Amino acid sequence: MAESKLLFPGCMIGNRIPYLEASARKVFEKLGVKVEDAPFSCCPDPVGFQSTDKESWLALGARNLCIAEQMGKNIVSLCNGCTQTLTAVNHELKNNPHEKEKINKILKKVNKEFKGTSNVYHFVKLLKEEVGVDKIKSTVTKSLSNLKVACHTGCHYARPSSIMQYDDPFEPKVLRELVAATGAKVVDYTEEALCCGTGASNTDPNVGLTVLKRKMDSIKKAGANAICVICPSCFQQIDGNQKALTKQFGTEYEIPVLYLTELLALAMGYSSEEIDLKSHRTKTEIIDKNIGG
Amino acid sequence: MTFVPNLEFKKLLLDVHLRDEIKYCYQCNRCSDVCPVAAAAPGRYEPRTLIMASFLGLPQLALGSPDKFMIWGCQVCDTCDEICPNHIELTEIFTLIKNIAVQQGKAPDYYTSQAKTILQFGKAIPMQPAIERRRQKFGIPPEPKCNVDEIKAILTETKLSKKLNMEG
Repeated sequence: MAESKLLFPGCMIGNRIPYLEASARKVFEKLGVKVEDAPFSCCPDPVGFQSTDKESWLALGARNLCIAEQMGKNIVSLCNGCTQTLTAVNHELKNNPHEKEKINKILKKVNKEFKGTSNVYHFVKLLKEEVGVDKIKSTVTKSLSNLKVACHTGCHYARPSSIMQYDDPFEPKVLRELVAATGAKVVDYTEEALCCGTGASNTDPNVGLTVLKRKMDSIKKAGANAICVICPSCFQQIDGNQKALTKQFGTEYEIPVLYLTELLALAMGYSSEEIDLKSHRTKTEIIDKNIGG
Repeated sequence: MTFVPNLEFKKLLLDVHLRDEIKYCYQCNRCSDVCPVAAAAPGRYEPRTLIMASFLGLPQLALGSPDKFMIWGCQVCDTCDEICPNHIELTEIFTLIKNIAVQQGKAPDYYTSQAKTILQFGKAIPMQPAIERRRQKFGIPPEPKCNVDEIKAILTETKLSKKLNMEG
């Protein structure tokens, strides 16, 4: 296995949904992925903070990259938002000398200098490109063949493609491959590329829910009995708001949401108690029923 | 409602953005066609209208008059960027407009309060004792402390608190 990477859990996973981080660490250990911790700040949020002040967003993002550069390591992120911020800041400063000079002038105040020597990996990319589907298959001890999984990659994983440069921005394939490696069946649904609506909820929760409803109706129609996500914002929106949809629109779903690392942990034989699935807002009992406890 | 063109605003969006891409918009409407927010909130948010307001130099319209959802409806999902036949980076332009709106005190609370939290703690979601205990229970190592003084020094340089109108 390649050299260790710096883990960037992000503040939503680390400081709000730690059971997702726990499942990731279990899966990484099983697959021989070595990670180290580092004193990163907020990535910061590509939606909230970039929209508020792009200069501050670039500077704080660059500071995180400097920490990795000083340690001579690459970063693996557990979150779409953090991956996009760090990748986009890296991309912008590497390709825009004027902006790089401006940001380095700011970073000089804290004795840091952005050089552009570290790379940023979404954990999905790491699992596919450095671990590989065969290795993942070899760790599966429990077949998830009764699960019919709707994959939702979320927006910031592969868009904008000019910057993210991985997978397909509208028809992502890699998550599907990784889910299929567990024996689960991947279902097709019309709104797979549709956003979960979190960003719109920041300004108007009703609009965010309307976006989510469109997605959930499509997932339900496809007959999925689980949804797999790779971003904590999408996780919170889809896991946390199915009841709100029922209240607002009278539509029922109750389709459990699993982070890819939770799905992999289950396939590797961890029990739902060990990865604390009962912490989810949308009940997960059906998962146990379908995989035989 | 009449909108008055403002050449300064137009120049800002044309100048700051690389390659003056915005000039190549021929209003084909594909951005609004694929936008999930435009579909969920018809008439309240339209990327095509925002681009038009930008190249015509109509800050009142772009900055959300009468409804600030006109700009803040954009959730940076990057769907419009991806579909634009002229490769206009719409969300880049919308980011600039939002940054201007923040300085004019026209941002929704979510955005300004998140920025204030980052300014104070270095994180949008600060650690809490209850979460620290849960991390311990799961056997996750404690979160490495980030250097908040460094964050504050950087954000002093970028004049964030002034941009957020926090200074008297």
